[in-house]
Amino acid sequence: MVENKKIPLEEFLKIRSEILHHWKTGSSPLLDLDSSVERLKAIPDHKNFAKKLKKAKQQGLTLIQPRAGVARLKEHIELLQFLEKEGEADFLPSTIDSYTRQNRYQNAQDGIDESERKGRSLLNGFPCVNHGVEGCLEVFESVNVPLQARHGTPDARLLSEIIHAAGWTSNEGGGISYNIPYAKSISLEDTIRYWQYCDRLVGYYEEHGVEINREPYGPLTGTLVPPSISHTVAIIESILAAEQGVKNITVGYGQSGNVIQDVAALRTLEEETNRYLKLFGYEDVFVTTVFHQWMGGFPKDEAKAMGLISMASTVAALGKATKMITKTAHESFGVPTKEANAEGLRASKIVTSLLRDQKLADSDELQEEMEIIRKEVACLIEAVVYEGKGDIAKGSVKAFKKGLIDVPFAPSQHNSGRILPARDTDGKIRIFEFGNLAMSDEIKEFHRNKLKERATLEGRDVSFQMTIDDIYAVSSGILVGKPQEEL
Amino acid sequence: MKSVVIGVIGADVHAVGNKIIDHVLSSAGYNVVNIGVLSSQEDFISAAIETDAKAILVSSLYGHGEMDVKFFRENCDEAGLSDVKLYVGGNIVVGKQDFNEVEKRFKDMGFDRVYGPGQKIEDAITHLKEDIGI
Repeated sequence: MVENKKIPLEEFLKIRSEILHHWKTGSSPLLDLDSSVERLKAIPDHKNFAKKLKKAKQQGLTLIQPRAGVARLKEHIELLQFLEKEGEADFLPSTIDSYTRQNRYQNAQDGIDESERKGRSLLNGFPCVNHGVEGCLEVFESVNVPLQARHGTPDARLLSEIIHAAGWTSNEGGGISYNIPYAKSISLEDTIRYWQYCDRLVGYYEEHGVEINREPYGPLTGTLVPPSISHTVAIIESILAAEQGVKNITVGYGQSGNVIQDVAALRTLEEETNRYLKLFGYEDVFVTTVFHQWMGGFPKDEAKAMGLISMASTVAALGKATKMITKTAHESFGVPTKEANAEGLRASKIVTSLLRDQKLADSDELQEEMEIIRKEVACLIEAVVYEGKGDIAKGSVKAFKKGLIDVPFAPSQHNSGRILPARDTDGKIRIFEFGNLAMSDEIKEFHRNKLKERATLEGRDVSFQMTIDDIYAVSSGILVGKPQEEL
Repeated sequence: MKSVVIGVIGADVHAVGNKIIDHVLSSAGYNVVNIGVLSSQEDFISAAIETDAKAILVSSLYGHGEMDVKFFRENCDEAGLSDVKLYVGGNIVVGKQDFNEVEKRFKDMGFDRVYGPGQKIEDAITHLKEDIGI
């Protein structure tokens, strides 16, 4: 059974020698750890992800980062340079294609070849394993801001080796957050182990004087996820990462749409992550937050989409997130052009810039929402600790198996999938079907009452149809879904 | 009750629409065989054979759809499913492209119905009733 225990160096190096054989680019001489450490030590502060985040946090800024990635190396570099220059991006990503995420490197190679032939990207991201350390290093040397891999890879061990060796000083993902929303059958035990390896690699660099940021993936399925559930996963993954030696963590959260709930979520995310890290004995971890602009379906109309992007930016700035992941007006059609991507960035930038010295005033409603999230997180973390008899890794596996933690709309067979969320009258995400979710009766009562209010107002029962209406609501320009006949 | 196979093709893990399509088609009176996300062409074809399905609805939201459905019609025909209707929908190509062209490209590949971003599943029900009845 997987345990929350630091992987001994010898064992790490043994696994490493196997991992590097998973694809031919693993044999690059640039993957020698000693030379990588030297290369990464020479990175200037402004290109180090962890250091730039620390500075932004101290200054109270909300920095912006897009998603972006295409199949061909040259085209990918042009894309990133464009987003840095025309989009004023503070951080750059390389969004990894879906074949690489499933370790299908041969499919990715076919995608690169076909993209070369057709002169356009047929992959939805940058196949970093196929391009190898040499290619990734070329990307790194072509830009002036820190780089991060953003993906959704259950087994990202080779990917992590390659990107860090190439000077990319942040990696998104985690054993739960890159499994439950991104996989169908792979076990949580396996993915927690794989991500312990990725974290151990970062721990190795930290031990040798190189700061690297890690970012558990906050939004999960991006579909009506109650804040306490994504917070719990973020906290668990932070603890798992800290055990392996990670020192700089950015916990994430996806916009819900209700401003008060979102600001309450951002505040409690940082506060509770710090609190639980200390409670579990990890004293020296630097925690920041990342806010994801709306992760659900977008309006097709580009002006409306830009309005949504600006609203998200307002919330991120008022909630004092240190980083924000931006969307584009092409969101409803899929992968955006570089121009549309840069426009999303600029619209976001002006909002965060104008609001940099403002924050949301305290209120009873805000405090109440924060208190609910704290209580819910406490219920869920307690269940995990109890199931694992104190071990958070074991406890997570068991808690998911029993449905004590449950993520709505997740594809994984290892997620119970019984909980059903819907919005209350002012758009806050609540739960009406709890399945086996480890919440107290008091909390369940609170949620059900909130949803009963809405049902009464709309003259219908609380049902799955309400959930469906809520899922499509934002793309049609409202937050709380309305019954069909009213549309 | 007519059977239809639904699923998300290739390395795509988008599960939300899949769960909604399942719910809506079931409510409309179809026997929905849902093979879920990360499904290969073979998964769709075996499910259709096993359940004597009259239509296969392929979803793809991540952009690789164009590559994932190559030779799907031919592979169905080879498996003896030449009477089975093929539908495809979602964000089936990378990026914002002219939908008329996209539709033609997929129809040339043998799909009977092609849906773009944001199309309501209710439209597919209308077409299913026309194509295979209920």
